Amino acid sequence: MISPKHLAGTTTAGPAAEVIVDVRGLVKNYSHKMVVKNVSFSIRRAEIFGVLGPNGAGKTTTLEMIEGIRKPDSGTVLVAGLDVCRQKSTVQRIIGVQLQATTLFPELTLLETLQFFASLYPRSLDPRKLLSDVALEEKARSHPQDLSGGQRQRLALALALINDPSVLFLDEPTAALDPQSRRMLWDIVLRLREQGKTIILTTHNMDEAQILCDRVAVMDDGQIIALDTSASLISQLGAQATIDCRLSGQATKSDVLELPGVTSVRHANERYIIYTGSMQPTLVALLSYASSKGVTLTDLQVRTPSLEDVFLELTGRELRAE
Amino acid sequence: MMSKMIVLVRTNFSILRRQRGLLIASLGLAIVSMLVFGFLFGGNTTNKTRLGVVDQDATTVSTQIVHQLQQASSLQIFTGRSDEEQQALKNGQRDAVIIMPAGFSQQLVKGGAHLHVYYDQNNPLTGASAQLTVKTIVESINSKLAHQPGPVALEQQAVAAKDLRPIDFITPGMLGMLLMWANLAIGIQLITWREMGITKRLAATPLKPISMMSAQVVARLALSLLQCALLLGLAIWMFHVQIYGNLGLLTLVVSIGSLTMLAIGLVIASFVKKSAAADSIRLLVNLPMMFLGGSYFDVSNAPSFLQPIIHVMPLYYLNDALRQVIYYGSGWSTIQTDLLVMLAWIVASMLVVWRTFRWL
Repeated sequence: MISPKHLAGTTTAGPAAEVIVDVRGLVKNYSHKMVVKNVSFSIRRAEIFGVLGPNGAGKTTTLEMIEGIRKPDSGTVLVAGLDVCRQKSTVQRIIGVQLQATTLFPELTLLETLQFFASLYPRSLDPRKLLSDVALEEKARSHPQDLSGGQRQRLALALALINDPSVLFLDEPTAALDPQSRRMLWDIVLRLREQGKTIILTTHNMDEAQILCDRVAVMDDGQIIALDTSASLISQLGAQATIDCRLSGQATKSDVLELPGVTSVRHANERYIIYTGSMQPTLVALLSYASSKGVTLTDLQVRTPSLEDVFLELTGRELRAE
Repeated sequence: MMSKMIVLVRTNFSILRRQRGLLIASLGLAIVSMLVFGFLFGGNTTNKTRLGVVDQDATTVSTQIVHQLQQASSLQIFTGRSDEEQQALKNGQRDAVIIMPAGFSQQLVKGGAHLHVYYDQNNPLTGASAQLTVKTIVESINSKLAHQPGPVALEQQAVAAKDLRPIDFITPGMLGMLLMWANLAIGIQLITWREMGITKRLAATPLKPISMMSAQVVARLALSLLQCALLLGLAIWMFHVQIYGNLGLLTLVVSIGSLTMLAIGLVIASFVKKSAAADSIRLLVNLPMMFLGGSYFDVSNAPSFLQPIIHVMPLYYLNDALRQVIYYGSGWSTIQTDLLVMLAWIVASMLVVWRTFRWL
């Protein structure tokens, strides 16, 4: 499942690596509602940086402000030392962007679209070669609306790469994809990082954040509530395992807390999420508790703690619930 | 810089060229209308305009005018008293009636004579042809007076050579309508692009919105000129419509007309967000303007409560300028007002666009 090689601990960018994106105090309001509340973080060269959070957290808006699509109400963004607000065109020459839903000119073929975008930059890669890199060369003369979801995402990626950018922004790149296409995209992203590119992606897929990203910023309600490698974030839970189950009627939270090894418990309706430092004793005790008290135990899941649990711990809400 | 603009214009032109819906709506509609009216009301050149002439002046000059009119081969002249002729007009036996009142020839010499004209309002197309006929007659009288204070002789060629058919009236109107449909559509285009997220994607590139929009404008201008050439070509080939005016001036009128409609289209794009609403708005603007602007029939006799609306509509002035140049062979001075009104529309629209247009 999770290959140790891909875990965040092996980031190629050490702490001394150059900061390539520097975000300070970003604020954005929409109709008197603050959607991005004083967001700051920095991204290092050749890092794969993830922004994890539910829908509506402000991830896309934050990204749009870094990409120069939207103007922040306050705060600054520096990309490769350049101020995005003041030197927008210069910054946009070295970045590549894949938006959440990419629709393009329905009248142009894939190849024509790439050629058009290529003409917007002083330097660009060969459109045909890019199409074959993303396995779309046989669709060169097709139109965007004739593509499947996965193919459209690959086209959007090719478009993002047309100017051979050093910084790549991917907004929910695998959201609508099947697992196989998702893995294909992860492979592409890893290869791009090997070329020295920096990648920033937003996601609400916890696997993507854990497996692909070097560091993860957890975002909720317009703010960054945690930023670290996923391994560090998870270890802060102090749990070796998570036991997720339903216990009927007579069970109480305080009872469950007293089971051996349990570090903390979350409880809503009949659902219990139990964090434990030693899974086996807790599990055994839980089962005997249930049978002794005449409590019905259902929907039992035992898993290693994930960013899902980190999010739950930080916000009291589930990441997937949206 | 220039080569980038060329690429932008070429791409925009390719996009437009492949939008079949646009071409069908603008060019197709114009062609079909023209064919329907052309065949329905006849491209028949032998239809004479039936003109009733009432001579209340009874002087040498007025008699000469009547005589000259009777010589014109495209006119069928009836003489009689005012009440008789007007009754004949009401009965559909005349296309128009002109009355030279007492004292007419005296005032002609002094300058400032008035000719009373009655038209058949119920038959908008033949009524329009008759109006043109009378206008031509009047112009001939006026131009002759400018040069010789002697007997008035009508320009025979001027009256006979012009085939005063409904198709001649309709063709410039169809050109105007075509320019309106094809160019207001720029508004729909931008709204759709915005809704689809295309402008957002472009906003992440070094491309400046103004460059893309300029390229759109240039591409649409080129397409408009092409479509007009096609429509005129068809009119000339099928119905022997003649362009009496200067082709260069016609090109100028078409260009300014296109730019006017493009500017208004951009105003629509500044205020409307959803493409569904945009379609409704477009119809709301196009349909009244098409009819009230005089594309299909003459509107100078429209009820007075409509006149203020008509005189505000840019299409009204475009159609007039087109008719003047194509049919009358008019020059710069005659169409000055029309062009100025269109320019005013362009300036006003661009001011609004400058303040309110949003790319995203």
